[in-house]
Amino acid sequence: MTPAQFEKNIEPRWQKLEQLLTDVEHAKPRENIIELPATFRQVCHDLSVAQHRMSPQRVTQRLNALAIRAYRVLERRSAGGWESLIRLLAVEFPQAVRAEWRLFWFCTALFYGPAVLMAVITPFYPEWAMSLLGPDGMMTIESMYGEKSTPSDYVRDNFGSGFAAFCYYIWNNVSIDFKTFAGGIVGGIGSLFVLLFNSIYLGAVFGYVHYSGNPLTLYTWVIAHGAPELTGIVISAMAGLRVGLSVLKPGRLERRAALVLAGRQALPLLIGAAALTSIAAVLEGFWSPLDLPPAMKFTAGGVCWLLVAAFFIFSGRRQANAS
Amino acid sequence: MAEARADTLQSVELADGVEIQLRVAGPAARSMAFTIDLLLRVAIYIVVWIAALFLLVKAIGMELTTGLMLLFMFFMEWFYNVIFEAGPRGATPGQRTMKLRVMSATGGPVTLAQAVLRNFLRVVDFMPGLYLTGILCMLFTKRFQRLGDLVANTVVTYVDPPPVRTAHSELRAERRAPPQVLTREEQAALLQFMERAPQWADERRLELSSLTEPLTGAPGAEGLRRLCGMGLWLQEPEEKNGKPPPLKGAPPLPA
Repeated sequence: MTPAQFEKNIEPRWQKLEQLLTDVEHAKPRENIIELPATFRQVCHDLSVAQHRMSPQRVTQRLNALAIRAYRVLERRSAGGWESLIRLLAVEFPQAVRAEWRLFWFCTALFYGPAVLMAVITPFYPEWAMSLLGPDGMMTIESMYGEKSTPSDYVRDNFGSGFAAFCYYIWNNVSIDFKTFAGGIVGGIGSLFVLLFNSIYLGAVFGYVHYSGNPLTLYTWVIAHGAPELTGIVISAMAGLRVGLSVLKPGRLERRAALVLAGRQALPLLIGAAALTSIAAVLEGFWSPLDLPPAMKFTAGGVCWLLVAAFFIFSGRRQANAS
Repeated sequence: MAEARADTLQSVELADGVEIQLRVAGPAARSMAFTIDLLLRVAIYIVVWIAALFLLVKAIGMELTTGLMLLFMFFMEWFYNVIFEAGPRGATPGQRTMKLRVMSATGGPVTLAQAVLRNFLRVVDFMPGLYLTGILCMLFTKRFQRLGDLVANTVVTYVDPPPVRTAHSELRAERRAPPQVLTREEQAALLQFMERAPQWADERRLELSSLTEPLTGAPGAEGLRRLCGMGLWLQEPEEKNGKPPPLKGAPPLPA
């Protein structure tokens, strides 16, 4: 068969495939749509033959473009909608955290350790915390949690201010989660930096309030939303470190493959961390500013911590392991 | 040893066993696409802010408007690219303008997860400014992948095949069989020469055809004529009074 004959032979097939694809891409498939996979395979075969016979570039390139287009249509799958999102959050996320339990405890220790240390030494050596917080930070803390403040100072009574605060926390805190994750690709350094910086800053705030403020105001404020928020930042650092470690220690895989695999493993952690931080934003926007007796706040806060712990211990146990 | 290549085509084998070639896009085209997206985003911000200030504030009050604007900014900052790239076209408006699209490195469309990963890592690719990390990374990977692309296993490719210019000009050459069996590479080179020769000046054609003098056995214009004749024979070996094609392993025919 001469190249010209070959070209003439395959022309009807590629025109048919083009027609079918145009129909699908305009979301108007006709009855002959069931012939798409078979036609695609025929055109793939034509492409192989054309490549082997060194047909003119005009032919191979056109078949190549057509094969890519058809493959995109055939391989396209919907993201799964709400059902798969819920599965991701309720099953795959806690499973991923449990699977990476070493990394979880490492990040937890790295976050709470320096924070507690800083908080404990600040009342005795306040200079460190003072230099870290700076004059502005100290004034803010004095005005919010000063000695004369009471837990009912920060009551937001209307929906609007609560909503604005909620949106601010989403914009600010969830962005921090994402950035913490992204920083992880540089061998985990970015994630570790964010984790440690937040840890020490948080410790300084707590220590400074103990030193010169009214701790009750602070604790009643943060106890509830702290549970998801702090866990969220720890887990986003985990996600970053997962990616960073794959660069440092790819194991038996090629570095490139290890990176892709780590990205896949980190994604449920990242989405889960963002969800936790969003829950924290809801609590911080609407629950924390409610004017309730401290005993009730502490009870609710304790329940929040227990719920978070129970979620990671029990959720998704019965479902088959996603990975 | 890696072969030196004159193009950026990347071969990928699809699940169906066929090998396709992706034309990956380099930093220049992608920077243009990014700039277009940036301008578009700025325009959207301006329009939405003005609309919010003049309409929304009156309707629902300052606090709710501030909140909604913050949510909007969060969404635009992190999900503008994700939504478009995970969509059916696999491209943001800027990428569409530049005729680019994001694909999985396996040849398939980009999944939502891949779009999220590759775009969230922009923060690092941007550092220390103007996507310096990303551009450096692209220059050192053969598929022009920035860090986000490496983690998500994606590539940015051109949508259309490169334009093939076909200049039709009559070849005044007699079909003739090559005097010896040509290897596949040699046949491919000759066929490509036939495809592209009409676009060149005479001097260039002669320059190239003179390289094949051992095959054609004649210098200058006569050599070119013989070479074109062999090209025609390769294109249509079995036509009319053509000689039978040389058999594999047969002794070379006299020129």
